[in-house]
Amino acid sequence: MTLQDRIRSGKFVVLGEFEPPKGADFSAYLKNANLSRGRVHAVVVPEMANAVLKASSLGGCAYLQREGMEPVFQLCCRDRNRLALQADILSAAALGIRNVMAVPGEDVRFGDHPQARAVNDLDLMGLLETLQKLQTGKDLAGIELRGVPRFCVGSTLDTGASGGLLNIELEHLKRKIDLGVEFVVTNPIFDLRRFEQFVRRLDAKQTAVFPTVLLLKSAGMARYIDRNIKGISIPSEMIRDIQKAPDKPQECIRIAANIVARLKDMGMPGVLISTVGWEDKLSQILDQANI
Amino acid sequence: MIVAKQKPIEEIIETLKGYNKILILGCNECVTVCEAGGKKEVAVLASALRMYFMNQGQEVKIEEATLERQCDHEYLEEIRKTVDQYDAVLSLACGVGVQFLAEKYMHTPILPGVDTCFMGVTEERGVWSERCQGCGQCILAWTAGICPVSRCAKRLLNGPCGGSSKGKCEINKEVPCAWQIIIDRLNELGRMEDYERLIPIKDWSTERAGGPRKVVREDVRS
Repeated sequence: MTLQDRIRSGKFVVLGEFEPPKGADFSAYLKNANLSRGRVHAVVVPEMANAVLKASSLGGCAYLQREGMEPVFQLCCRDRNRLALQADILSAAALGIRNVMAVPGEDVRFGDHPQARAVNDLDLMGLLETLQKLQTGKDLAGIELRGVPRFCVGSTLDTGASGGLLNIELEHLKRKIDLGVEFVVTNPIFDLRRFEQFVRRLDAKQTAVFPTVLLLKSAGMARYIDRNIKGISIPSEMIRDIQKAPDKPQECIRIAANIVARLKDMGMPGVLISTVGWEDKLSQILDQANI
Repeated sequence: MIVAKQKPIEEIIETLKGYNKILILGCNECVTVCEAGGKKEVAVLASALRMYFMNQGQEVKIEEATLERQCDHEYLEEIRKTVDQYDAVLSLACGVGVQFLAEKYMHTPILPGVDTCFMGVTEERGVWSERCQGCGQCILAWTAGICPVSRCAKRLLNGPCGGSSKGKCEINKEVPCAWQIIIDRLNELGRMEDYERLIPIKDWSTERAGGPRKVVREDVRS
């Protein structure tokens, strides 16, 4: 069953997230992705998250596709103009990639190549419009394509927005849905009470919202995220639990599994699990969450 | 100077819809030189708009003023006492002036009357062309005083692309190849050794890659 079929059938979706390596050796990447085989329904392949140079999402997707896994190709407007974006979208379709996810892309100044010239020829809505247009069989110049690409299109949703920004985010979500988005992936969720309040403002039928569950690795990491990452708050008792636990990795797995289970109980249509480097622990999270 | 060109009057009329008392505000600096937004253009546009609204049977009052500059507080202050009388201000300054006005007068809609194009020169009356993109890291010392960032279509830093023909750029026969001019001038100056120098991969963080830019001079700061 494809990701799109699964979303449409309303069955609980588990997405994994595996970022391609910084380098030309993909062997560890494939090993990690293989650990999740049969446990995740599709793998989101980030496009140089935080503007740090890595092999491309398209490259990662092509690899996973060849290995018989279902990848989600991430696209952002930071590094490519409308020609390059359309070219890669068409190539992805030709490679058999069925899912694309349009993301905003962090500014180059946050990454490891701050001297780079950001492109931003299109914005996120423009990229979604492009995807929609290509799926009608024409490119942005209105010229007919030989072979029409078909995708299940996703994007992102910032649940951490507050006040007026939240209204803007919800307005943007509407626009994204109008532009053909079938699923959105949120920022990492730790504070479920706050997330529940957010979900109450959503029209659940509009689109599938997949919260991200980020596997913490230490109390220090949790504290850093809580203090420094905008829009993400981590309950202090969660940080304390990691601190006190004799087996800290196990406690981190327990916390992630608990969040996954509670999100499922809340009626969310699925989750994205991000293990950043601890890919071998993904199965344990799903086991403990009874998925 | 900053070169601008006046917007089509239809577009200006569209943005003025619903406003009954409008100030057209010119600028005595760059847009006067490029004949897009000085006192003369303010008067011509005001007359055209008055005629348009009269023909439409609409009572729209159009007034005119031109400031010395719209990119300095002191000149913008000159309209502080009168700005509230207007439903909107149509600024014929470049985008810098429009924004500085908008930042200063929060309660009055500020509309642009020109399209800001580039930093350039007056080649002859009626002809302006681009010379600088404000990349924040000038390399003119090594390119015979001719800028490949603003004048080469591909922004090539290490010689021509091979697409030029008879000294003209491949994108347009009217556009001189920047590298042709650079090489001709280096020859003229007897400094072809500058051409041998490899210009390193450019750091665009001083251009727009680092976000909106700012220059702070503590020594002259008041």
